[in-house]
Amino acid sequence: MPAFQPNKVQLLCDLTFEGAWPTTVAFLGSSRRLAAGNRDGQLFIWELPDKQTKEPPPPVRFLQGHTNGITRLRATRDGKTLVSSSLDRSVRLWDTTAPTTGSTEVVLDMKTREQEARRQRKPEIVTKPGVKVATQTAAHVFQVHQNWVQALDLSGDEKRLITGDDNGMTIVWDLASRKEIARWTGYPGNWITSAALTSDGQTAFVAEFCSRRGDFDRPPAQARIYDASTGKEKLDILKVQFPNVKKRDNSYGYATTWGKFVARGFVAADFSPDDNILAVGQGGETGTGKVHLLDSRTGKLIRSVSGHQYGVTDVQFSADGQFVLSAGRDTSIRICRVSDGKEIAKLGKERGGQFKDWFHAVDVSPDQQCVAAADIAGQVRVWRLG
Amino acid sequence: MKKFCTPIEHVSRRAFLKGTFGTVTGGLLMNWGGLWHAAENVKNERKHCILLWMNGGVSQFETFDMKPGRPTGGLFRPIQTNVTGIQICELMPNIARQMDKLAVIRSMHTSQIDHPGGIHLMHTGYAATANIRYPEIGAIMAKYLGKEESDLPDFIKISSQGNSGAGYLGPKYQPFNLDHSGNLPPFSLSRLDPQDELRRHELRQFVEGEFAKKHKVETARMHQEAYEGVRRLQRAKAVFDIEDEWEKYRDRYGDSKFGKRCLLARRLIESGVAFVEVGQSSYDTHADNFTGHKGLLPPMEQAWAALLVDLEERGLLQSTLVVWMGEIGRTPRINNRSGRDHYVRAWSTALAGAGIKGGQVYGATDKDGIDVKDNPVTEGDFFATIYKAVGINPKKEHYQGIRPIPIAPFGSKVVDELLRS
Amino acid sequence: MRIPTCLFTAVLSVLFAAVSSGADVALRDVIDQEIRSVWQHEELTPPGPADDAAFLRRVYLDLIGIIPSYEETLAFLNDQTKDKRARLIDRLLAHPRFGVHQADVWDLVLFGRIPASNEARTRDGFKRWLVQQFNDNVPYDQWARAILKAEGNTVDQGAPMYLVQYERNPEAATIAITQTFLGVQLQCAQCHDHPFDHWKQTDFYGMAAFLVRLRAVSVGKKGRETKWVVAEHSSGEIMFTGPAADQEPGKKGKPIPPRFLDGSELVEPPLPKDFKEPRNFPSGKMPPKPRFSRKNKLAEWITARDNPYFAKAVANRIWGQFFGRGLVHPVDNLSQNNPSPFSGLLQKTADALRKHNFDLKWYIRELCNTQTYQLACAGPVTEAKPRWFERARVRPLSAEELLESWRLATGYDNVARRAGKKQPDGRFYGVTWGYMLRFFGQPDNGVGDFQGGLSEHLYLNNGELSQLITRESGGLYDAILKSTDPWSKRVERLFLSILNRYPTPAEQKKFVSFLTADDRQSDRLADAIWVLMTCSEFRFNH
Repeated sequence: MPAFQPNKVQLLCDLTFEGAWPTTVAFLGSSRRLAAGNRDGQLFIWELPDKQTKEPPPPVRFLQGHTNGITRLRATRDGKTLVSSSLDRSVRLWDTTAPTTGSTEVVLDMKTREQEARRQRKPEIVTKPGVKVATQTAAHVFQVHQNWVQALDLSGDEKRLITGDDNGMTIVWDLASRKEIARWTGYPGNWITSAALTSDGQTAFVAEFCSRRGDFDRPPAQARIYDASTGKEKLDILKVQFPNVKKRDNSYGYATTWGKFVARGFVAADFSPDDNILAVGQGGETGTGKVHLLDSRTGKLIRSVSGHQYGVTDVQFSADGQFVLSAGRDTSIRICRVSDGKEIAKLGKERGGQFKDWFHAVDVSPDQQCVAAADIAGQVRVWRLG
Repeated sequence: MKKFCTPIEHVSRRAFLKGTFGTVTGGLLMNWGGLWHAAENVKNERKHCILLWMNGGVSQFETFDMKPGRPTGGLFRPIQTNVTGIQICELMPNIARQMDKLAVIRSMHTSQIDHPGGIHLMHTGYAATANIRYPEIGAIMAKYLGKEESDLPDFIKISSQGNSGAGYLGPKYQPFNLDHSGNLPPFSLSRLDPQDELRRHELRQFVEGEFAKKHKVETARMHQEAYEGVRRLQRAKAVFDIEDEWEKYRDRYGDSKFGKRCLLARRLIESGVAFVEVGQSSYDTHADNFTGHKGLLPPMEQAWAALLVDLEERGLLQSTLVVWMGEIGRTPRINNRSGRDHYVRAWSTALAGAGIKGGQVYGATDKDGIDVKDNPVTEGDFFATIYKAVGINPKKEHYQGIRPIPIAPFGSKVVDELLRS
Repeated sequence: MRIPTCLFTAVLSVLFAAVSSGADVALRDVIDQEIRSVWQHEELTPPGPADDAAFLRRVYLDLIGIIPSYEETLAFLNDQTKDKRARLIDRLLAHPRFGVHQADVWDLVLFGRIPASNEARTRDGFKRWLVQQFNDNVPYDQWARAILKAEGNTVDQGAPMYLVQYERNPEAATIAITQTFLGVQLQCAQCHDHPFDHWKQTDFYGMAAFLVRLRAVSVGKKGRETKWVVAEHSSGEIMFTGPAADQEPGKKGKPIPPRFLDGSELVEPPLPKDFKEPRNFPSGKMPPKPRFSRKNKLAEWITARDNPYFAKAVANRIWGQFFGRGLVHPVDNLSQNNPSPFSGLLQKTADALRKHNFDLKWYIRELCNTQTYQLACAGPVTEAKPRWFERARVRPLSAEELLESWRLATGYDNVARRAGKKQPDGRFYGVTWGYMLRFFGQPDNGVGDFQGGLSEHLYLNNGELSQLITRESGGLYDAILKSTDPWSKRVERLFLSILNRYPTPAEQKKFVSFLTADDRQSDRLADAIWVLMTCSEFRFNH
């Protein structure tokens, strides 16, 4: 596999995905196909162009079924299997090579059309026909969660799946049989904000948070490592960081102590390919959201890297484990070297007024050639490396 | 604070001043307007009001004015209520089951878009001005619904906002503030022997009297009134201790501080207090509006629904008006922080209980919630309706010098459709 | 705001002419004349002047933030000279506590009880510096400029702390600076064009552009205090994306150039082509000066002699400090939409203050010597801050004033001194300072009016006051109890020590009978002291 080379980066294309916010993105098999989902539950697959282009291609497939925002996407390295989690409480499994079921017309450039119609004073621009896209449905629907599903990950061996919902429930699944392996619930009232599986799928990281911030009666955030086969707790990371804090102390002081470390929740997590390091991103709107690199065995902080003003939205290691990529609320992807924490590259440029547009998610292609970001302004940005 | 006795007997202020009370340490006494006695009165005649105050401005889109499928609609979905044809947000399943008690106003149209202005406006019915200090709704209610001889303050705020207080009504109707857990302020417990306390109290009364002869200034009067309030409170403290009852009601009201505050509010109403305001903060969701409301609404709506049912079971709902509102609404447009900003062109409030015709939605907004489509309700109309509902004439005037100031702003109209005839 | 410059200059020159023609009339007389004519117009009959005791206590609290001692009280009341009030004012203006108290007042204006950021929670360096400015009588425009230029560090120099609290928050800095130093209320214009005033959102962001490049850098420690320095980038713009209600993703935002409130844009030299901005300023290292300082330009514009708001804002604020309400009220809203019958007088006082080079001691001396300030606190008016200044105002003592005055009255510090005990550091000991701040720190209704609450009485009744009523030798309690004077004399001393006046015959009689009613004199004396410490007469300055 070619190395991940963040030193030279060029923008390949911006895929138009206007309407609700694009929230998540995943490459499928190579750097030539990717899937992206948005806050309305729309999920599309695009074939990417070879060369830099200003004329982005329309999507080739419309994955139908979700009825509310897509939160995370994970794909197998061959790109054949795609998993999506959603605010509609379902998790869906897609065979991206399955035959299509039909086709439909979609308009993904409505904002541009409206602007053009205003500028050219031609209202008919808005009602022009859209593009025809082939449709397909999910191979399987996991309809077990009873609340928003915000956390999703696939183990490195692609055998297990972890999902977590806003009722505080985490479920580990066997991907092939689609059966539950284990399930457990966290602190009452907490939401599962992120989850990650190790390469063998035997160990899971789960982060909890709840923004019930009024009057200090929010339950404490949690960040724990579990045996993914049994749901048995192996390590309480916050206990390692704050050994003296009591379990149920929800005073203001407590919240501020933890607040420095968890900000407004770890909204993203990833294990390094060798499983030694766990990266977690400080999310919610916060001063400067950092990515903590933690020793996954001891829970100790190795270093904090990156830094997105107003918060982190997504975190991912490169395949060689040498770099950690993060997306954030400052319209940027930041690529940092794991060994010394140095920021090697920053993709994207701040956009907005006092507060900036978000890059909602990041993904690196399996061949390490491309990086994609879900940009809330209505596009998926794709850069080519090296 | 631990309970000392179950108060069953009413001791008037006059009796107290005669010194007919025992000591705290002695285990006897300090009475506070006995429960059963008061509750009976309450049922029969007197009206009360509980204001649930959503500080920072709760979003209409995430509560009562859903716009599913529209760009302004957001991430939550509507659910059915127990009233055919009325849908509200999925974050409020308990309230959905009490919809028959609620009158929701979807067409609020008010004038103050920032917090301080909005908090003043939605506590008084008036925009703040430099020269007139308007009383809050709690002070008006205390004046017209309060009981002269009560030991308990008639205007109690539990962790809520607004600092206009009694305004021109004067110190007698100032709010008494409890903290977010419903605790009495610190130092509420006197360590003095009551006889010793009375002795120094008498000397202090003399000194204050001498000062007041020469100084007519209102601040000194307020200072003295507050002192008197503290002394009365000494007798009423037991009512604030809800630990026992909380054990029984925790599941119903939800294990949250807001739930506990609502239970305390019910208990205070039952004990004869005219007006209780219960606040919940952090609705100012300029950022992360959806997770914000997802965190805040469930504990709030569970407690609110429990409060309505509890009042009804005790026969108090028909005499107790329950008002739900924040100071502003939130923008239809979702900003780049996943938030909603301040908005007062079209937003929602809700009423239940005394005088209110439940099971209805009044007014409507357009398809994206940008403007009021039908039956706009201004702050003045809203307050006029509230006062009418508890039997206070909203046109009654108070005088500030020679200037008459009606209880609800001049020109406000009562929304009769919201009221039970 | 865009005031046509020519018109503005014309108005100004007329005003200057008016003032200079009456140059020999003292400001105090101008004030009394103007106020009197308003009374006539409003058909008001104010009470006569305050008696000596009332004046003494009032001016002590207003100038040095503490009541006079028993000895000082007696000395002043016994002084038979005619000009004793003017001399007392001079003496208090020269008192080292003058700076201490005025710094307390201004610290609250500049930081509030809860400063805008945690870095400013401890700001001893700033406070030391501010005390010095008042005691050295540094002209106001100079020290205001020092605050806004923020040179040096927050410990050795002090002044930078004000801007440190607004680091990376140019929006909050803009609101605070325009309100505090200019009496201009811009806050509404942050999110939308001001509905009533003429301020536009672009006015707001034009001002914020001066402050967007500021960063706080810690450069070391001295004891427990961190030394902060205000650093300024050479580039970086404030981005504006329109009204708050129209915010959505995808808005590019346009940079707003720095623009003063009078509409003139700042002329900036271009940055050199090869200029490279440092990403951040490492802590522990003095940051480099910017190529061009926007912040300094703003500081100079705000504090310039011809700034249309600056002199009026401070003249009005200090007026409000001594008379309850500003000539324009509230003191920090000089908007055209907030008209006042006294705006002419405000213009005159502001011009005079400017003519005296922002000499605040001079200004305060003039105010305290007016008959208006020295009016009795009597008559039928019930307002705490009388609208027409027809009676002395009544203001609650601050937490600082209360605690230090209580300790002085009870002889708490005397006892320690006599016993050779060292007092804790700082000024606020004897009771828990946190409680004092909680119950007396901000006793108002949000618009500056006192609002009585039950909680302060709970503290007064059941709190820590008994700790201050020391029974040891050197204290008031001990002196009274051990005295061999008749009880009527002892009651006199009690009143002179705590309320700084003689008791009335009725009070004397009541207290004597209270204190001698039974054999529990020691308890009763503590009660009597408690009563005088907690009564309204003590709680307020009147």
